[in-house]
Amino acid sequence: MTIRKKGYTHWEGELKESFLVWFPLTRLGIKLAFQRRFFRLFFFSSFLPALIFLAGIYISERLEDFRFMLKGSPPFLQITPNFFKIYLSSGLFLVLLVLMMIFVGSGLIADDLRFNALQLYFARPLRKIDYLVGKIATLSFFILLLSLVPGLLFILFKLLFAGNLVFLRTYPWLPLAVIGYSLLLTLFFAGYALALSALSRNSRYVSLMIFGIYIASDIVFGIFYQNFHHPYLALLSIKLNLQQVAAAIFGQKPFYQVPWELSLAILLGLMVGAYFILQRRIRSVEVVK
Amino acid sequence: MTVVVQTEKLSKYYGNVLGLSDVSVSIEPGVVGLLGPNGAGKSTFLKLITGQLKPSLGRILVFGQRVWNNPVIYHQIGYCPEVDTFFEDLTGWQFLTQMLRLHHFSPQAAAKQAEEMLDFLHLSQDKDRLIRSYSRGMRQRLKIAQAIAHDPRLIILDEPLNGLDPLGRRKVIRLIRQMGEAGKTVIVSSHVLPEIEAMTKRIILIHQGKVFAQGNIHYIRELIDTHPHIISIKCDRVRELAAALVKEKEVIKVFFTPDPHEVQLETRQRDVFFERLQQLILDLHLEVEAITSPDDNLQAVFDYLIGER
Repeated sequence: MTIRKKGYTHWEGELKESFLVWFPLTRLGIKLAFQRRFFRLFFFSSFLPALIFLAGIYISERLEDFRFMLKGSPPFLQITPNFFKIYLSSGLFLVLLVLMMIFVGSGLIADDLRFNALQLYFARPLRKIDYLVGKIATLSFFILLLSLVPGLLFILFKLLFAGNLVFLRTYPWLPLAVIGYSLLLTLFFAGYALALSALSRNSRYVSLMIFGIYIASDIVFGIFYQNFHHPYLALLSIKLNLQQVAAAIFGQKPFYQVPWELSLAILLGLMVGAYFILQRRIRSVEVVK
Repeated sequence: MTVVVQTEKLSKYYGNVLGLSDVSVSIEPGVVGLLGPNGAGKSTFLKLITGQLKPSLGRILVFGQRVWNNPVIYHQIGYCPEVDTFFEDLTGWQFLTQMLRLHHFSPQAAAKQAEEMLDFLHLSQDKDRLIRSYSRGMRQRLKIAQAIAHDPRLIILDEPLNGLDPLGRRKVIRLIRQMGEAGKTVIVSSHVLPEIEAMTKRIILIHQGKVFAQGNIHYIRELIDTHPHIISIKCDRVRELAAALVKEKEVIKVFFTPDPHEVQLETRQRDVFFERLQQLILDLHLEVEAITSPDDNLQAVFDYLIGER
């Protein structure tokens, strides 16, 4: 038997500069999310609404065949921009996104803080912006899979089932609206989840905050609205702000008589706030004062 | 020799708290021990070198380039922090591969290099276990692995021997010496002085945020003239030798120890005294068993310097 004496060996390969320095972080975030069985179950279940809406598109093109089981014409069988608005801004869909942020986003920075991983990251050729992009890309992957991908697939399947381009000629701006609103959802929810994740080392507290703040904003709106019936109170609710902006982007009348620009400004303000929290909290070394 | 790390009047303040003050050092390739009691500013110094802290005053150059906010230079730096910095839900192999990927290793190259490093640090058998199940020693070795896996030229190890068993310590000390001999610059922080002494004779001593001394341990000892050198001589006729020693002008004090064959003396001119001692031994026809300097070691240097101020 040979005895191998091993010493310190030099790396002799060649390293290439990469523009995607953040990609390993994204890959790790996605991988860790899928390591949890419960998340896998949730992830695949979260596509059920999209499948139902897809079935709606098919049925809408074959209304005569399905007349025996339908009375009237439910809104989701009228394939207009409103159909897309309903899918992308329904209360259920937004709660799904919130839950997704809880599963994927709560630990993204909190765990790095808990494990002191930031000092390992920032001792490597990784800037703070790369770190943030890596984390945002992780959340974007999941949000866009639920929003942008189904949205564009709905358009595609509508065209395929119809066998013509009439729908796209009627609403040529719709793909852009789907992309724009999906990006807004992505940036908002990624910023929201990451900022809260950066505030604590305990991902359970972060989960509670992500869900709690979202729901609390709606409850506060509900309480005030019951008493004052003022439409501007809708600005208090995260959900309603997203729905107001969605209505504007998809060319629909907003439910509350509030300028949608105000809702957008509130959402942008929250994103800016999230950015400042991230700037302040993400540093490799805890500063003692 | 090339200067790898150079600091000029480097200071770091955390608000009103002093972290490091007016530190000017030049570090060349090889192993350098960074010494100091807890809270002395060692970790602050290391974090400044690794670019994780921005200097409040002064400047720091690594390989001739500024280090703060200059990620390109981080390819050349390997950092092993004092605290655990693991993702507990990853396996040792996944963790190391991930760290290498952040150094722009391709997936294949990262996998290959991670395998080699885990093998090198005797973690191959446990590479597929989650880190949360690792022992303290395994964690420490994995932490060292991530610092050296990308083959950096400057390696910074903050208390690398913590948690290691004696065998593990010996291996890591040997590894550090090997890396120093391979031309790398290794800065090792520790408060366990004999271990530093086993790795290197070059030290930087930090206390209260300031550099108290830097250079070769023996050279530093020479400079401490307020503390005379203690020299111990073991021979057959100690009383006769003691009688001769008290007449020598270089000798300040002579005293006996519980050992009947030992005499100790204090001198401020060690080199001159040693020349004279040779002559005395010959003149008295002594059979000398041992001549040692009990305070010519790191612990004594450390105690003198810290105690003096």
